Amino acid sequence: MPILDELKAAIAKRLPELDVVIGWGKGFDALHHTPVFITSEADLDKLVLGPLSVQNLATYLTRYPKTKKIGVVVKGCDSRSVVQLLQEKLINRENVVVFGFPCEGVVDLEKVKRAFEDQGMEAARVSEASFQGDRCTLTSGGKAGSLPMADLWADKCNRCQYHDAVISDEFVGQRLERKAEDAYADVAAFEAKPLAERQAFWQEQMSRCIRCYACRNACPLCVCRDQCIAQTREPNWVSQRTGVEEKFMFQMIHASHLAGRCTECGECERACPVGIPILLLKRKNNKEILELFDYRAGIDPEAKPPLLAFKVEEEKINERGW
Amino acid sequence: MKIGVFICHCGSNIAGTVDVAKVAEMAKSLPEVAFASDTMYACSEPGQEGIINAIKEKGLDGAVVASCTPRMHGPTFMRTVARAGLNPYMFEMANIREHVSWIGKDKEANTAKALDLVRMAVAKLARNKPLFAKSFAINKRVLVLGGGVAGIQAALDCADGGLEVVLVEKTTTIGGKMAKLDKTFPTVDCSCCILGPKMVDVAQHPNITLYASAEVDEINGYVGNFQVKVRKKPTYVDWKLCTGCGACLEKCPSKKSPDLFNEFVGTTTAINIPFPQAIPKKASIDAGSCIKFKTGKCGVCAKVCPVKAINYEMEPEIVTEEVGAVIAATGYDLMDWTVYEQYGGGRYKDVITSLQYERLLSASGPTGGHIKRPSDGKEPKTVVFIQCVGSRDKSVGRPYCSGFCCMYTAKQAILTKDHIPDSESYVFYMDIRAPGKMYDEFTRRAMEEYGAKYVRGRVSMVYPSGGRYVVRGVDTLAGTQVEVEADLVVLAVGAEGAAGAAHLAEKLRISYDSYGFYMESHPKLKPVETNTAGVYVAGCVQGPKDIPTSVAQGSAAAAKVLALFSKDQLQSDPQVSSVDLKRCVGCMKCAMTCPFGAIKEQEVRGEIKAQVIETMCQGCGLCTATCPQGAIQLQHFTDNQILAEINTLLESELEETQG
Amino acid sequence: MSKELRIIGFLCNWCSYGGADTAGVGRFTQPTDLRIVRLPCSGRIDPLFVLKTLTGGADGVLVSGCHPRDCHYSEGNFYARRRLEMVKRFLPVIGIDPGRFEYTWVSASEGQRWQTVVRGFTEQVHALGPIQRFGKDAAAMAAQLAASHA
Repeated sequence: MPILDELKAAIAKRLPELDVVIGWGKGFDALHHTPVFITSEADLDKLVLGPLSVQNLATYLTRYPKTKKIGVVVKGCDSRSVVQLLQEKLINRENVVVFGFPCEGVVDLEKVKRAFEDQGMEAARVSEASFQGDRCTLTSGGKAGSLPMADLWADKCNRCQYHDAVISDEFVGQRLERKAEDAYADVAAFEAKPLAERQAFWQEQMSRCIRCYACRNACPLCVCRDQCIAQTREPNWVSQRTGVEEKFMFQMIHASHLAGRCTECGECERACPVGIPILLLKRKNNKEILELFDYRAGIDPEAKPPLLAFKVEEEKINERGW
Repeated sequence: MKIGVFICHCGSNIAGTVDVAKVAEMAKSLPEVAFASDTMYACSEPGQEGIINAIKEKGLDGAVVASCTPRMHGPTFMRTVARAGLNPYMFEMANIREHVSWIGKDKEANTAKALDLVRMAVAKLARNKPLFAKSFAINKRVLVLGGGVAGIQAALDCADGGLEVVLVEKTTTIGGKMAKLDKTFPTVDCSCCILGPKMVDVAQHPNITLYASAEVDEINGYVGNFQVKVRKKPTYVDWKLCTGCGACLEKCPSKKSPDLFNEFVGTTTAINIPFPQAIPKKASIDAGSCIKFKTGKCGVCAKVCPVKAINYEMEPEIVTEEVGAVIAATGYDLMDWTVYEQYGGGRYKDVITSLQYERLLSASGPTGGHIKRPSDGKEPKTVVFIQCVGSRDKSVGRPYCSGFCCMYTAKQAILTKDHIPDSESYVFYMDIRAPGKMYDEFTRRAMEEYGAKYVRGRVSMVYPSGGRYVVRGVDTLAGTQVEVEADLVVLAVGAEGAAGAAHLAEKLRISYDSYGFYMESHPKLKPVETNTAGVYVAGCVQGPKDIPTSVAQGSAAAAKVLALFSKDQLQSDPQVSSVDLKRCVGCMKCAMTCPFGAIKEQEVRGEIKAQVIETMCQGCGLCTATCPQGAIQLQHFTDNQILAEINTLLESELEETQG
Repeated sequence: MSKELRIIGFLCNWCSYGGADTAGVGRFTQPTDLRIVRLPCSGRIDPLFVLKTLTGGADGVLVSGCHPRDCHYSEGNFYARRRLEMVKRFLPVIGIDPGRFEYTWVSASEGQRWQTVVRGFTEQVHALGPIQRFGKDAAAMAAQLAASHA
């Protein structure tokens, strides 16, 4: 049985006890999936699954009252967000049913668009998309084009260590048990550049920021919602003044508030309408968290985020002598 | 808001290196500043009146005083502001003395810095809100740590004042170092005879609970309401039964136990009562040397004990005591003098410490009060005293003067002559420090009446030679080298904080220095207070002191506690955290990090929100730094106040770069 | 030393602020660049204060609290240690030299140590020179880099 059918069956089985199940459905065109909210068996037909299922549906969990019974379909990366939310008691374990499946990866839609545009196709008018083996074929304006998947996977998928959900109540399909290396090479490569160049990079990137906060809204762990300190004067961390400092301040706040919590689902970067690579800031923090505390967020629901804990003797923090 | 700024000259302390008039003049141009002036001494009565008059006449809503550290006069000026009819928290201080005028002489740079600090204070004050203290009940019991003379005095004064006292002593008897001394200076009266009655008073006082052979495991809580876990170490003798008859001591076959009380001069029995006047006068077993513990065979003491008090199975016991204040009087220990290789590093049997010599002099000591050399038991004819061993010596990391050594060395020279009339004493000294009533006269007496030969100079080495010791040093007054052949060498070893003092200070949450001495709140004006409310110090725990000073401090600390407890309720510091309910998302990360458990969940219209228990909150602000939304704010140190200070400084930088 | 730079210190009230006072009482001469913000505890320091201050144009930030285990509030500096270490390690990715930020522990009795810290850190910041500010300076730099790559 194809995985999608297995998934539908699993959801159908659990649906009676749930208020809603969140999965993916067809989007506004063939190149997009969009979240669907399944409340009845009839809705199951809407469900799809594949390399276009890019959204992290765990983001929606905290938008419901904790008392609602919610099912959620998760990729491996998304499942870590669920674990993190559980760890921080932002959702109730008994009120969440997690549907896992072996995720082969999702595409980076920007890469897809760029690659097909390079072939002279209009990525904005895709009428058909198919993913067969290691090739992606798109039809746009009656023209078909094909590209190797290797060029299209999202960066996070190329370094994925958690193809199979780390937490699930129902797991459909065979576990992949694949694990790529992630030595934070991207962070190291960026930090190999001269300091001034790094600063200039952010200066240039952030000058494009339009302060839409899509990055924040897409983040499964940004649970402050309307109370985000970026948009209040009590306290007044970010002012309404235009300027790169103010825009960048918010990104530093986001990175700082996610230190030790970020599961690197990459939703912030994916949601950014102007393509600022803001995940880099969070990955930098995670790299340091891993080095200092040998800790990855979203793995153990019983663990404590390292910045909300301490050890009297820290093994890896040198006392800074003068 | 109408803010008044008052720049203090502090005589020439500030005005000498800061152009105070200019700072005041420039402060006038700051937003929200309605009045600014300079004043000779802001803290003086006319200075304070000036502030009060300005507040009243100009209708000010807050005041900034730029003078010394707020740790010094913050409370003074808060009272001033209150006297002018304002809320005392509508006040900020700029520290332009300790942090400006005293650390640099560049008047221009100092003036600019002083102005910056004033601008920061103004920016912060503009965001201050009136705060109001709440009252909370207190537990009028006091914990005294350490049963030396300072602790004894503190315990007795508190108990006489009607307080319940819990006295915790690490060893098996109270008395401390004073009980080990033979005589005291300058009166040369018997140390144990004057201390003994006080020790008995402790034992008999209905208000004092004594835990000997006990240590503090844990201290939680805050002024007025501390919870203390006391660990009673096993003595293997049930003290409720033990009568102190001493039958066990006589029969104990293990007579080679280290004699702690006698400073390891000689040995004692494994079951022991340290000295005849010990309080409590109860036996205890040193498990490290007891044959029963080592081999499982023996049990003589259990057989001879007429009241069957021996219990080899005794376990440590934890007792929880609730108190409202703590007096730390844990005293001192001698520094490890064996770092002095030139004095034998501990290898020569007849090179001993002054405290060991006290035991040799004492009638209840191991030699029955006869001075005998540890090596061969012979009476020494020539005794050399070396002062400042581990005092005033940077080379061993002890730059400070231990204060009492000059005096006890003079006393010991006198006593030596008393004990052995045909003996000779030499004292090598750096300076004689004898500033006390009848003190200098006393050292003169040692020299003039008792013929002690004082040699001003350091000893370069001590080495054995034919059963005696050659002490080679310099006589800096004569400008010559000297060598003395001695039978016994007594080292006046310097004092350091008692073993374990640092660890205890951590539990008490007070500062200590690198020598283990505790930090008082102010070196002159708050000598027995610490920076932790409700915790006081007395005696050598704070630094080396002689007996009268230690006793005075014991009484002083007791007076402080009695004053603290004179009210039924204490006012809590209103600088506590406060939750903005509409902004709190109930993630409770604040509660996860609060060291005091002062944040709890509450339900507001079906939603979880954080709630601060105001009397438990100590005002550290950890929650504010933790809350992602900034919904919990430490009053008086809110994000906006700190950001205002930062922005003020960054703006001034901006103006400079643009200007 | 060259022209004064803008160095901001965040000090806990109980230990380091007292240590700075002790240094003053002892007349331990220090450079004048530093401006101190007094806080109750190093645990009060939101790492964002450090980032805000440095990206806002300060040339250096110094944080000092009670020695680990000596915190007046028992645990504040333990949390601070982790958070401040993270900030220090974060700075390179945003193009700020981590030498512009230091955190250390100075007790109220360590006046001399405070002098050493202030002297050492001020020297360190002066060696790095004035900071490149986000906004104007960095924009110019970005343009310059773009030109050189073109």
